[in-house]
Amino acid sequence: MATVFKQQKTKRDKAEGIVANDAEEKAIFKNKQRVLLLSSRGITFRHRHLLSDLGNLLPHTKKDAKLDSKSKLHIINELADLNNCNNCIFFEVRKRQDLYMWVSKTPNGPSMKFHIQNIHTMEELKMTGNCLKGSRHILSFDKNFESSPHWMLMKELFTQVFGIPKTSRRIKPFIDHVISFSIVDNRVWFRNYQITQKPVEHRSATDTTDLTLVEIGPRFVMNPIRTFDGSFGGQTAFENPEFVSPNVARAKVRNAKAGRYKDRMEALAKRDQKMKDAVLPDDPLSEKNVFA
Amino acid sequence: MSDSDSEQEQRLTLEDLEYSDAEMLSGDEDDPMDIFTTQKVTINNEPALKRLHDQIALPTDIPWSETQSITSTQPVSVADPDDDLNREVAFYNQALEAAVLGRERIRKEGGVFERPGDYFAEMIKSDEHMAKIRQKLLDENASIQASERAKAQRELKKFGKKVQTEKRLEREKAKAEALEKINVLKKKRQGNDSSANADDEFDVALASDDEEMRAYKTTGRNGNKGKKRSASSTPESRGKRLKKDQKFGFGGKKRHAKSNTADSSADVSAFNVKRNKSTSFKAGHKATKTAAKKRPGKARRQSGGGRK
Repeated sequence: MATVFKQQKTKRDKAEGIVANDAEEKAIFKNKQRVLLLSSRGITFRHRHLLSDLGNLLPHTKKDAKLDSKSKLHIINELADLNNCNNCIFFEVRKRQDLYMWVSKTPNGPSMKFHIQNIHTMEELKMTGNCLKGSRHILSFDKNFESSPHWMLMKELFTQVFGIPKTSRRIKPFIDHVISFSIVDNRVWFRNYQITQKPVEHRSATDTTDLTLVEIGPRFVMNPIRTFDGSFGGQTAFENPEFVSPNVARAKVRNAKAGRYKDRMEALAKRDQKMKDAVLPDDPLSEKNVFA
Repeated sequence: MSDSDSEQEQRLTLEDLEYSDAEMLSGDEDDPMDIFTTQKVTINNEPALKRLHDQIALPTDIPWSETQSITSTQPVSVADPDDDLNREVAFYNQALEAAVLGRERIRKEGGVFERPGDYFAEMIKSDEHMAKIRQKLLDENASIQASERAKAQRELKKFGKKVQTEKRLEREKAKAEALEKINVLKKKRQGNDSSANADDEFDVALASDDEEMRAYKTTGRNGNKGKKRSASSTPESRGKRLKKDQKFGFGGKKRHAKSNTADSSADVSAFNVKRNKSTSFKAGHKATKTAAKKRPGKARRQSGGGRK
């Protein structure tokens, strides 16, 4: 039926001299993003809750089973292809303690690895906000994201991964929350707020607007480690010089402790040696020599 | 040979580094082998980053509502990242600004921003969870109020005792006054008429005639006229009490108060030369009894003399 209609339309258009504009219609860009949510084995409860929170917040995501290997990450590209996803968020948990997050544009796009700290999930009772499940949010980026190329690339990546496209199936109509990314101390801080309108009688003199924000959660801090050319591999395009691996940090603490013991033992040994060395020469006038 | 050369090329030798750098990087001074160090080169391949950015970027002419992303007008600057309050305030302000600007743009593009009050759909946090949050807030408020109340009670207790004693004294005074007024009326009744008129007794207002009360007080109960009777005691009126205190109370010498001491024997102030020379059995001299004031008896003297 559609083709019949089109035929009639083209006939009529030709008659009236209107040129078909198929090419223009085809060129309307539709932002299609789908994100694959994955984790490695050995994930803890807090990280698991964070992953599920992200899944609830972003309706254009698809959760997949845990990935066995931590070294052969290139298979994630195939998994994403299988699920028709062009983005991926991968939670790599090491030593059941440290959470590393990979954000990547599969299959050939750039990828970034972050170390996640200070995780507070939506479950925490201090976060009192609530929002519609699947409503499209406003993304708020700090102006510092335009200061360097690696921040700009990160901003573009976040816009596509954390921004909900209009074509997603599970979206809801209104806008009731805003997700903000800020750069402080060379790290990216993630916050999620609910937008409410204050009634006129509750407004105070200092309020500039009638909107207020209540935190929904989750909240975490991303410490960028590296940016790669390809997805889950490839050449390093950016490396954060200030990043200290959590293993190294722990090792430093332990060595400092051990260092104290070592220093003390060395000092004792030195003292013993000193006492041995510090023997006075024989005095010819001593009792031993006079009354030999 | 070539291998070792290439190896040498890769690693920076001490000669390549400046003296100060070598000191900094050489680490352990005791270990002489540790003089070859590799410098860490961090990668910041800006052209590659730009190329990647252009590669993945969305076209710039798409409507804003496709991505709904807003960049803040002011960069976020926090002096101390460990200062939680100011940091969170900065984030809040950034997000609030984005919300306000976002709302404007949505309205300009003709979209809907606010959620109407009657729109019910699945929320991210379940109703039970929100109930838990609400309960926690209520509990917090209740505990704060309870502790404040307990504090107020503690403060009240301190002053409660004081207030209690004051009130008790007040009540007793009022009672005493009322009884006195009744007595006055009784006296008046007895004086005026003997006809028992039950109605009259209750018609009289007790609190009337303060003048009478004053007069009654000043004349005294025994009808002792002329003597001014004050409510409070004066040192003269307490003479008996004072004497008793002195004799039986604590402190001070009582035993040998009237015995002679060296000073009292040497005291000749009571000696009058003129009298001594003149007193003899001559005519015209008066009895010495009148010279000194007539002293009261011993018992009178010891009991303090009574009221004057």
